[in-house]
Amino acid sequence: MSSDLKKLYPEIIKAHNETPFHFEKRLDANEVIKAYNPICGDRFEIFMTSDSIKINTVHFHGFGCAISKASTSILTKSIEGKTLTEALMICTTFLGFIDKETQDEKITLPDEFLAFSGVHDFPERYDCATLSWKEMKKKLEMNQIAQ
Amino acid sequence: MALPLQSIKSHFPIFTHRPELVYLDSAATSQKPQSVIQTITDFYEKENANVHRGLYELSSKATHRYEDVRKKVCGLIGSPHPNSIAFTKGATEAINIVAQCFLKKDLRKGDNVVISAMEHHANLIPWQQICLQTQATLKIIPVNNNGELALEKLDDLLDAQTKMLAVTHISNVLGAINPIEEIIAAAHKKNIPVLIDGAQSVGHYPLDVKKLDADFLVFSAHKMFGPLGTGVLYCKEEYSKQIDPLNYGGGSIKNVEFEHTEFLDYPHSLEAGTANIAGVIGLGAAIDFIKELDLNETSNQTKKLSIYFKEKLKSLGGIKIVGNPKNFSGIVSFFLENIHAHDVAGFLANENIAVRAGHHCAQPLLESMGVPATVRASFSIYNTKEDVDKIIEALVALKKFWA
Repeated sequence: MSSDLKKLYPEIIKAHNETPFHFEKRLDANEVIKAYNPICGDRFEIFMTSDSIKINTVHFHGFGCAISKASTSILTKSIEGKTLTEALMICTTFLGFIDKETQDEKITLPDEFLAFSGVHDFPERYDCATLSWKEMKKKLEMNQIAQ
Repeated sequence: MALPLQSIKSHFPIFTHRPELVYLDSAATSQKPQSVIQTITDFYEKENANVHRGLYELSSKATHRYEDVRKKVCGLIGSPHPNSIAFTKGATEAINIVAQCFLKKDLRKGDNVVISAMEHHANLIPWQQICLQTQATLKIIPVNNNGELALEKLDDLLDAQTKMLAVTHISNVLGAINPIEEIIAAAHKKNIPVLIDGAQSVGHYPLDVKKLDADFLVFSAHKMFGPLGTGVLYCKEEYSKQIDPLNYGGGSIKNVEFEHTEFLDYPHSLEAGTANIAGVIGLGAAIDFIKELDLNETSNQTKKLSIYFKEKLKSLGGIKIVGNPKNFSGIVSFFLENIHAHDVAGFLANENIAVRAGHHCAQPLLESMGVPATVRASFSIYNTKEDVDKIIEALVALKKFWA
């Protein structure tokens, strides 16, 4: 087993893949964000209940590879309970970290973000790590414009 | 005397440059033999010129070689007329030509087009879109649990309003080989033209359009040891006059005035603009290479590899093979119960094993079979039993890694 692959799948990612955070459909959610990659078939729905300021609950459901599932799980966990502005900043930070060029070196990243550093050695898995985060960021930006 | 199976791999330079490579993705694109690569290089180095345009020796030589490939294609698929062969960018473009430039103008509300549930997106979307544009209906031959066409339903699906039946010879996901002779005969009883998608079969299986009585046959050079970006549309003479040009431009005309244009006949009417001449000549070299093979022997060999692979997969446990068709090729799709196809393909890639993961451009098929994504291994003439042993060994290691 190559050590590279172990770096791609650290324990944090494996754990989130096996027991994801809030992995259930919530039909009472007031927003459903769809994240779908037609090339590999990964497909998630993120169920978000929020008011004009704060995200109260986030759940998700669907299927995808371990990287995309763990990344969606960590997204869900990271933005629940945050304000819409904070959540957008969190998305920007995560995507900036995956896309090394826009990374802000001064920010200390949580371990759950750093777990995805293996993706830097496997560029073909970039879409897996960022799929749900990109859709969430788009949604939050749209909400900001609407307000 | 056919090329001996044991030495076939040595004709493919990629395996000299990458001796560690286990290439099990030939259904996506095949590797290219030295003779094809050399023919294309020689053309650019020694013979490059445009076709049908110059009066100098180089141009007439290029024209001769380009046109000669139509004859070679005829030899490969059993067509009696070189003018039945149009060169396209690939199988996808060829299907789009038949849909957009042949069928659409006669399609009305109430008409229908019949395809099967196991079509590649390339043989689904072009028909779906012209049906949506004309308010015609797209009807689907279902696939049974074994991954075979439910042909008992065919007669009911084909009716007086059916304007086209389009079906694949070999499924790119399940490896199922469809009884196209029987399917074509059923459609012809009702005067319905048939398009056969030969992307996974031409060059790998003996095929004869005359014997089959196929109306249209499409395929891509790159899946049969030829170069990328070149394909073929075969069209029976009775329909060829009804195909309008796809692109308008030079090389496809008899006479141009400011007010109107008179076009050349099929197939030249479809070849506006400078063609992929080196691609077509490379396709000719691929056909020459295929002629050196005994296709019965090679197709039997890839089938044997897929049988050996399926047996080994079953013995691993926790692996599901998608479909179990009676007649099958060297394509095997499977998935692991707890590990996503993408994670499997990524792990195998790390072991220098190339497979495909995902929908394989057949999303409705997999969804109808209740499978989200699969890993696909596809075997070709250069694969060996050792390749199967390596992927099995890697799958054992993968299961340990995820345990």
